[in-house]
Amino acid sequence: MPENYSDIFIRDIMTQDVVVVNEDDPVEHIFELFDKYHFNTYPVVNNEGKLTGIIDQDIMLEIIMFHRIPRTKHTHIAAVRSQGESAREIMIPHPVTISPDENLHDAADMMLKHHINRVCVVEDDKLVGIISKKNIICEVYKRKEVE
Amino acid sequence: MEHILLLLLILFLAKVFGEIIERAGFPSILGEIFAGVFLGLLWFEPGGEVLSFLAELGAIFLLFTAGYLEVNLTELRTASRVAFTPTIFGIAVPFLLGYLLGQAFGFGFLESLFMGVAFSPTSIGVVVKTLIDLKYLSSRPGSVMLTSAIFDDIIGIFILAIVVTIATINQLPSGMQLLLIAGKLAGFMVIITFMGFKVYPWLFNLVHRMHVKEGIFAFVIMVALFSAYLAEVFGLHAVIGAFIGGALLSDIPFAKIESVQRNVSGLSYGIFVPIFFAFIGLSVDLGVAQTAGLFTVLVIVLALVGKLIGGFIGSKLIGFEFHDSLIFGIGMMPRAGVELVVLSVGKGMGLITDEVFSAIVLMVVVSIIVSPILLKFVIQINEDKKPQIPTIQD
Repeated sequence: MPENYSDIFIRDIMTQDVVVVNEDDPVEHIFELFDKYHFNTYPVVNNEGKLTGIIDQDIMLEIIMFHRIPRTKHTHIAAVRSQGESAREIMIPHPVTISPDENLHDAADMMLKHHINRVCVVEDDKLVGIISKKNIICEVYKRKEVE
Repeated sequence: MEHILLLLLILFLAKVFGEIIERAGFPSILGEIFAGVFLGLLWFEPGGEVLSFLAELGAIFLLFTAGYLEVNLTELRTASRVAFTPTIFGIAVPFLLGYLLGQAFGFGFLESLFMGVAFSPTSIGVVVKTLIDLKYLSSRPGSVMLTSAIFDDIIGIFILAIVVTIATINQLPSGMQLLLIAGKLAGFMVIITFMGFKVYPWLFNLVHRMHVKEGIFAFVIMVALFSAYLAEVFGLHAVIGAFIGGALLSDIPFAKIESVQRNVSGLSYGIFVPIFFAFIGLSVDLGVAQTAGLFTVLVIVLALVGKLIGGFIGSKLIGFEFHDSLIFGIGMMPRAGVELVVLSVGKGMGLITDEVFSAIVLMVVVSIIVSPILLKFVIQINEDKKPQIPTIQD
């Protein structure tokens, strides 16, 4: 009988204390965050706390190395991003999100199927946390230990 | 068997020639066109149905991918404030010159109109590398060029849609027919926009829960094919629908998952788009281009000068200095993917002759080679004229 974790809700296992970036934060501030913390992705929120995008390591690397990447990657959108001065101008808009009321299976399915490492958790458009593969693994391990 | 061999040869030569050209410092699209020309010189002919169909898919996927990966509907609103005037002038002047050239050579109304459309698109991607190398991408002309590029594609597709619809009537439209054209365009836009904003977000939410392999990727491709088909149903061309369909996916999170984008890009730029560019090269009649010497020269000169003048005037109007306007005008000169799609639509619909087709392909090739060189030259002159700040050693 396979284990069933559908009674574990995302709101119970997500990371709630999330380091976020404001849309208007300058790019220099985002570099500082990457230097200070070990996270791969930062959610971008507006002044009302609504999630508007994400910024990950790939974007930052692309911006720094834009002059070195092959010409085929000099797309319009990459060029515009390389010139961006604020989080709003460089972020990936409309990221995939999940509701805190969905369960562990939903999050794991999404991550495995679409090769996503972490998903922003959103309630009424507002960012309430992040769920990562690590959160899921730790939770399942914890439960197995108890059993 | 013959088709498989031809496909293998096209893909192989397109990638090899593309790599050589890329390493020589030019965009690989040139190599892919040359691969087609080379195959034509050997023995192949572009007449086969299979190859034509694959090339048509290439055109559809080229524009779908342009809309899907490059257009950000939210960004458009901000961009419109900055780049509207220079873009309009950058399109209007070459359009007019293309139309007048057609008239001067005794072409009919539709063929002249199509000459105008074919003169209109711009492909900024060709000069991005030059702008980066000369540290000019973040300059005012550089950033307006980037913004203008989004509009250029959209307006170009819109004009193409109008001309294609007029072409189905095959004459100068009367008042009633103009209403019919407007009705068709509006009908298509209403349906596709409704799908984009209401139906697709809901459907993608369902599809992402499906268990079939690569469900979302397959659904994105279905959106491309559906949009292309819908456009055909409304008497527009498939490529127009594909572009708009792609752009409408830009705000749907599940449609824009990184792995799905990679798959779409791989299918397009890995397979179909090189086939399309090679097909364009294969369709060029070098003999015709040679015999129509004066016409070909005029096509090249007017198409490039038209963009230069249009871009120059447009950017002057928003307050650019003389040199910055010149840089902007030259930056608008290159043509590439969208131009070739427009061209293949015209050829497919019988709107242009082999002579016109070959001349415009040659213009695209010249524009790709000449624009970065000219741009570099003008930027360096501008830099040399700037006052030098004396150093301590001085």
